[in-house]
Amino acid sequence: MKVGSRRIGFVRRDTISGWQAFLISTVSVIVGLIVFSLVFVVSDVSPLTAYREIFGYAFLSPSGFRLVLNRFIFLALCTFAFLIPYRAGLWNIGMTGQVYMGGLAAYGVVYLLGGKTNPNLEVSAWLVLPAMIAAAAAAGALWAAIAGFLKDRWDVNEIVVTMMLNFVGSFIVSHMTKEGGPFMNRGGGSEGFPLPTSLRAPVFADIPFTALFVAVLAVALHLLFTRSSLGFQIRAFGMSPRAAQYAGIRTHRMGLLVFLLGGAIAGLAAYHQFAAVPGVYKIPRDYEIVGDTAFFGIICGLIAQGNALASLPVALLFAAASIGGRAAQGKLHLAFGLDFALMGVLMIVLVGFQFLYRYRLAFRAVGVETPPAGAEAAAEARGRGSEA
Amino acid sequence: MDTDLWANIQPGEELLAARGITKRFANGVLANDHVDFDIRAQEVHALLGENGAGKTTLMNILFGYLQPDEGQIYLRGRPVRFNSPQDALRHGIGMVHQYRKLVPAHTVLENIILGHPKARGVINERRAAEEIAALAESYGFRIDLKAYVWQLTEGERQVVEIIKALYRGAHILIMDEPTSALTPTETEQLLQAIERMTSSNLGVVPFITHKLPVVLRISHRVSILRRGRIVATLKTAETNERELARLLVGRDVIFDVKKPPQEPGEPVLELQNVSALSDKGTPALRDVSFTLREGQILGIAGVLGNGQHELAEVIAGLRPVESGRILFRGQDITRAPVLERWRMGIGYTPAERTEVGSIPDFSLVENVALNHFWDRQYVRSGFLDYGRLRSLTRNILDEFKVVAAGPEARGKTLSGGNLQKVIMGRVLARKPRLLVANLPAQGLDIGAIEFVQQQLLAARSQGTAIILISEDLDEILMLSDIIAPMYEGQIMALLKAEEADRETVGTLIAGGQVRRSAG
Amino acid sequence: MLLPFFLRSLEAAMIFTFAGLGELVNQRSGVLNVGIEGMMLFGATVGFIVAQSSGSYVAGFLAGAAVGLLLGLLHAFFSITLRVDQVVSGMGIWIFGFGVTTYLGAPHAGPLGMERLQTLFGISPFVYVAVALTLVTWFVLQRTSLGLALRAAGETPAVAEVSGINVTRLRYLATAFGGLMGGFAGALYALYYNPVWNYNFIMGWGFISLALVFFSMWNPVVLFGGAVLFGLLWQLSLNPELLAVGVLSRYLWRTTPFIATMLILVVISTGWFRRRWGAARPQALGQPYIKE
Repeated sequence: MKVGSRRIGFVRRDTISGWQAFLISTVSVIVGLIVFSLVFVVSDVSPLTAYREIFGYAFLSPSGFRLVLNRFIFLALCTFAFLIPYRAGLWNIGMTGQVYMGGLAAYGVVYLLGGKTNPNLEVSAWLVLPAMIAAAAAAGALWAAIAGFLKDRWDVNEIVVTMMLNFVGSFIVSHMTKEGGPFMNRGGGSEGFPLPTSLRAPVFADIPFTALFVAVLAVALHLLFTRSSLGFQIRAFGMSPRAAQYAGIRTHRMGLLVFLLGGAIAGLAAYHQFAAVPGVYKIPRDYEIVGDTAFFGIICGLIAQGNALASLPVALLFAAASIGGRAAQGKLHLAFGLDFALMGVLMIVLVGFQFLYRYRLAFRAVGVETPPAGAEAAAEARGRGSEA
Repeated sequence: MDTDLWANIQPGEELLAARGITKRFANGVLANDHVDFDIRAQEVHALLGENGAGKTTLMNILFGYLQPDEGQIYLRGRPVRFNSPQDALRHGIGMVHQYRKLVPAHTVLENIILGHPKARGVINERRAAEEIAALAESYGFRIDLKAYVWQLTEGERQVVEIIKALYRGAHILIMDEPTSALTPTETEQLLQAIERMTSSNLGVVPFITHKLPVVLRISHRVSILRRGRIVATLKTAETNERELARLLVGRDVIFDVKKPPQEPGEPVLELQNVSALSDKGTPALRDVSFTLREGQILGIAGVLGNGQHELAEVIAGLRPVESGRILFRGQDITRAPVLERWRMGIGYTPAERTEVGSIPDFSLVENVALNHFWDRQYVRSGFLDYGRLRSLTRNILDEFKVVAAGPEARGKTLSGGNLQKVIMGRVLARKPRLLVANLPAQGLDIGAIEFVQQQLLAARSQGTAIILISEDLDEILMLSDIIAPMYEGQIMALLKAEEADRETVGTLIAGGQVRRSAG
Repeated sequence: MLLPFFLRSLEAAMIFTFAGLGELVNQRSGVLNVGIEGMMLFGATVGFIVAQSSGSYVAGFLAGAAVGLLLGLLHAFFSITLRVDQVVSGMGIWIFGFGVTTYLGAPHAGPLGMERLQTLFGISPFVYVAVALTLVTWFVLQRTSLGLALRAAGETPAVAEVSGINVTRLRYLATAFGGLMGGFAGALYALYYNPVWNYNFIMGWGFISLALVFFSMWNPVVLFGGAVLFGLLWQLSLNPELLAVGVLSRYLWRTTPFIATMLILVVISTGWFRRRWGAARPQALGQPYIKE
């Protein structure tokens, strides 16, 4: 594009500072929200009113904020589940299926103890809760490990596999909780049996202890990827599998490793969602809507550029949008799925912004070109430069 | 195409003339400074210039990749301007690239007709095949049009590129390093083909870096480009190798890397009948055996694609061995994982510096860490000691005179030579007992080449056993203690440096037989 | 009993075929589109809404194909012009489609409520179109200069470019075609095969089509074979009583096409296939082309 005697062009960035990345991500979210206003305009609702409704409910009403925090824990864990494989260059879009499996496993523990038939089950929560959590994490990990194993062993596309596992997982949940499935609520209704009161997760100020998972994992993942040798190996593999292999990194186990870790965290998210959030305590009838909310993890991870700490505010924002959106839906007479639509629009805007992580706008005088790529051109440039 | 443009060419007539070509890049570099150059019918006019002399820029201008800031190109006296390579192609300029511009997965025929203005809509393969066969015949080329390009030798691929250019109606053929990847036999065939082409009113412009005998053999005139300027245009018959060398470099200079005599030590690496497959599953290494001792350099000579790459990967542990054994200091490492080999003291500097040897988006510290992330010196209870890694990186940057913004610069900001220095420095910092150096000097400028070669000799004097893989026979002859010419996955002979000469090694890497010398 | 089952399977197969052919051409030019599910969701939902509110099938199909085309162009703009990672862009389009169509379609949840489209010899006329398009695609790819140029752009774009081919334009064209086909396949799903709007009702067919393209080794005829196979499998998963009565719950039967998709991906990744057909993969698939 020409402007006067200058040409606007894009120049490849060699490095991007954390500050610049933060700025681009923030701007992309703001632009996304602005673009999304169109949805409100089309529905004859003032965008300002709508956003005030959404974020007002989410952050200013105590009941809304509690829901937001619970949703935040779920989304943050799903984000972690996404971003560990992402740092290894692999796409885990199967948090949904891993969440299903984690939820089934957690309730499987209760089922084995007889919790389905006896809502007043008297067992030691100190023993059973860790077992439920471990079972959820293990089930999520193993479910995800299918994709990791297939990737390592036969280089099978992990995107398709994790997506297929979502559908398989979804039908397994239906099988277990509907039409006379073993986990079906005795009172009828196509949903899972309720968690015995004694096994409800400890709650502090309406926030379940699962918030600790988020806090601990955020710090742990941050250290993993910035300081540890293992995190270095995962990142090296993610950027260049061939260079990683050359360096002696165990590349033939990398898919398994990152999917086990990611899946385990998705299992924790499942435990939180189905067995720790006050007021839920079961696998609900519309578990699919909850499960698909896990897709928010993808966009949080991408906006945060794979940085666990940076993903926290993003997850909070999406939790607010998700909870506030559901509330605004009813109040403003908008259709179901406002939060999913917001997720979609923000995602596509974010993709457009990806460009700016690698290029920046530059103004140059017309007619001046950069030397062509290639070793000789570079050598040429240097040779001439030193002479001058 | 402008058909009138090339009608009734007279022998010796000026076909193309470039006058006052000047090209300055955004960073202020003056790559071409008032270059004058012309090419006549039935003539080979060689353009000689070192890396960095502005050769690539001039070539890109002649072929329409770049447009000159000043100056004018004339075709048979008419001023023309090429806006793109397609434009140049339409004007009858054909290009034969050093790194072949062919689609390996397609057939020869498909490659030749790709993008041809005549092949529009449904392709009439038979007619195209007949036309191309007739054209090839008239220049004495033989080529199987149904073969896939990936099946061809480097020489055959070059022929495909030449035919493709001619089929497009090229009257001027620009050839980038025409003999660089060819065996001596293929080179001979090419030279004959060029002679045949020039007898039919074509003009040929080979761009050559420093193969002076080739220039003397094929060209009628030669122009020497130095620091962006044409310093001389000579009749080839009236010059000689020494004069050209002096004009090329600008001073009387010959490579001056001296290899001190040295007694070899204990055996370090022993290969026993090692065979391995290529990526395509075809045999790439056949029964390779040799023993390498401390302080020895084993030079693997040969044209690329004859198993050198697979040999390096087999030793580094990146490629499985089909049969045979590899011993390192007496220990069987045939199936040892890569990391174990690094721990034992086997270092590898790959030829693919940006794809395998480094990670472009990593900082230099992280790139250096690639060879140290497992070393207790740099890891404490699972955490990398970035302080130590940073000072190690600084040392490498200082010692190897790397031009870089600092240890935190990304790998991709470095030039090829500087990146190679970082890779070398990082591997040599491990003080390896064995170093496999795969094309260490390929594509570097003269200063960097000398530096890398000196580093190899310095490592040798400290007792490191080195496998040096190179296409450059002079480099092999200059540095090696033992020379192993490779051809089709086999080591044709193990020659002691004193007994080897260019001719013997050149014959062996082309699959020829010679009187067997050292065993 | 069996005949309607087979006919219905063919109708499922035609949808996989349309979506798959688009993706195949797309990939042959070097552009991977993992967001085909999103394009199908969009084509299905927009087609559904337009047909329902206008009462015209033609309008519905056109709208579905048009929205697919736009998404294809969007993917092309992201991945070719802006050089965004093709997987990132595809994922974006999938989530965009999933999110926005959930919201758009929700007020229209339920049956289409229009007279069913006519059939020709018991099946949708589009089945015949799918067969014809398969052959045409094969012919264009293998026997015309356009196909040759397209394949070259997917193998080695730099070579195509120096041969006088405009790689960017060709990739735009192929990606737009991929989007068009994806949107049309979605519309066909929503207006004919399963004319009941439901949350996320494409059920992974886009991802399955993607897997079918890998399975086909980029050969349209093989793709069609795979589509028929999956059409049968899908119908079988809905009617397990054809095979076994009372074994397993109906939910577990429905997992079979998804498990089969994974199995097929495993099979084609094993050494036997890799050796034979491995060379078929467009070498530049997934890589942005940057002009020198």
